[in-house]
Amino acid sequence: MALLEVKNLTVEFGSENNPFRAVDSVSFSVERGEVLGIVGESGSGKSVSSLALMGLIDYPGRVTADSLTFDGEDLLRMPARKRRNITGKDIAMIFQDPMSSLNPCYTVETQIMEALKVHEGGNKKQRRERTLDLLNQVGIPDPKSRMKAYPHQLSGGMSQRIVIAMAIACNPRLLVADEPTTALDVTIQAQIIDLLLKLQSDSDMALILITHDLALVSEAADRIQVMYAGQLFESGPADGLFAAPRHPYTQALLEALPERSEGHDRLRTIPGVVPGAHDRPTGCLLSPRCRYATDKCVSTQPLVEDYYGRDVRCFYPLDDNGQPTGRTV
Amino acid sequence: MLGFLFRRLGDIVPTFFGVTLLVFFLIRLIPGDPILMMAGERGVDAVRYAQLKAQYGFDQPVIVQYFHYLLGVFQGDLGKSFVTKKPVLEEFMTLFPATVELGVIAILFAIVVGLPLGVVAAVRRGGIFDYTTMTISLAGYSMPIFWWATMLIMFFSVSLGWTPVSGRLSVLYYIEPTTGFMLIDTLLSDQKGAFVDALQHLILPSIALGTIPMAVIARMTRSSMLEVLREDYIRVARAKGLSPTKVVIVHALRNALIPVVTVIGLQVSVLVAGAILTETIFSWPGIGKWIVEAVSRRDYPTIQGGILLIAIMIMMVNLFVDLTYSVINPRIRHTR
Repeated sequence: MALLEVKNLTVEFGSENNPFRAVDSVSFSVERGEVLGIVGESGSGKSVSSLALMGLIDYPGRVTADSLTFDGEDLLRMPARKRRNITGKDIAMIFQDPMSSLNPCYTVETQIMEALKVHEGGNKKQRRERTLDLLNQVGIPDPKSRMKAYPHQLSGGMSQRIVIAMAIACNPRLLVADEPTTALDVTIQAQIIDLLLKLQSDSDMALILITHDLALVSEAADRIQVMYAGQLFESGPADGLFAAPRHPYTQALLEALPERSEGHDRLRTIPGVVPGAHDRPTGCLLSPRCRYATDKCVSTQPLVEDYYGRDVRCFYPLDDNGQPTGRTV
Repeated sequence: MLGFLFRRLGDIVPTFFGVTLLVFFLIRLIPGDPILMMAGERGVDAVRYAQLKAQYGFDQPVIVQYFHYLLGVFQGDLGKSFVTKKPVLEEFMTLFPATVELGVIAILFAIVVGLPLGVVAAVRRGGIFDYTTMTISLAGYSMPIFWWATMLIMFFSVSLGWTPVSGRLSVLYYIEPTTGFMLIDTLLSDQKGAFVDALQHLILPSIALGTIPMAVIARMTRSSMLEVLREDYIRVARAKGLSPTKVVIVHALRNALIPVVTVIGLQVSVLVAGAILTETIFSWPGIGKWIVEAVSRRDYPTIQGGILLIAIMIMMVNLFVDLTYSVINPRIRHTR
């Protein structure tokens, strides 16, 4: 049994009659010790689905799912108190902007020890020792003096290391990293990712890496899931997905990478933007932006189907040469 | 920190001169001659009038009078009241505790009620509790003190008879002032029931005086909390698995307090202004009532001295508020 099983997770905002689906029937699973990469443009529902996982969607948002189980326990149908025992301990999360993830009023030490206090107890001395260990583990130089530092005295990279230390404090079995490097300098980005992967492999922790950096997930992730406008478009093992994308959207995303634009005058882009609450197209949500779209794509919505071991939501999945199959023009 | 304190104390100097200047000249702009006022209805003949004028120094140019006054202030001499012939400072010191007692209880009432209301309203934003408290606080904020105080007396004292109508203590008791604070003095005395009696006398005036600050604090706390609750670190705190109460009190409230503390500091001056009305209505023997009477008698030294002392007190409170910022917020502590 997988560590995390998500079946038809849906997150809605707005009125009951005319809801906006930020996440639309997304299913996925994460095995123990696995790295799952979730990619997609801004507004594709990556962050919202991870927040739903953590139970951090507030009213008026509504979270429904056929099942949302962690280690066999149903997260959605357990009492709030019991769920809080799991969040922060077994499932932890790292957010996008490290500079605003730390409370400006408290020292680094206080904020890390707080997580330990809630879930592990122990006395103050033990917690302080563990905090020192954690800071060493995430590569903070001179951790003893950094313990007493306030967040405004830390750089972005340093803050993200603290945030990571805070997240792994209780040895989580699943770590959700929501664009952990977006707000950082390019030079720091690689360091932080290396750190995350090292922590992941050292402790056999599962990692969900949410990003729009394709190059990053291609190296880091075991499996990749491509999301668009709240829907799952394609998922499968990382190497196969990059070698031969089956969904036109994945193909377009890969083509938009600068290193794949060699020999072209301009960088290739995907025209248009992800549809929001008020401009959702009928049929396939990608149809206005898809170069292969037909009348069928505009009128009917495709379902997620298995295509040679990959989950693909498209009427005309691509073959190994990147050409749509089954399409008659 | 010490440098910051000295710089702020330095800021006080010009304000201090400004206050003396304003008060001194403004009261001289009010029509009415203090000497004629003292003479009363019988009047005074021209010779005696000139004699008195010279005695009080009114025959000299106003500028000279001002410098005489300033010289006195620097020597700690605020002059003597025209009416009671007692030193202004001495009178102020006997009346001041009554006002402080009322003000402290009023602001405590405002904080103890206003802060939690604001926090709960923010956490349950958009709900019935939110709408109710915000409507009530808007009403409280818009209410004229004199009307509100009168209504309180009519309802609670006259109709229900729950609290005394006015004064600080019933005539049943006589308390020798030791600290000047009735609550403390009654506690120190061995008269049974005196403390409860003093407390009962305090209830209505403090509510009347504390209502506006309470409304302001509640609204400020709410909007400040709403802002903080949207911050990333609140989500991080929740992701740690902390209970909602802990997230709100430990992580949100402390960050939300800075603007609230500022507002509380500003409310102190509102409180002094309000005290003048409240003390008059409740016959509270404090400096508010004292200054109002001094104005109607053109008792220049009392007005000048009283207002100067109040101004100094307000400056001190604001200095104190600035110092508490740095306790609440480490960013301010380290940058200054």
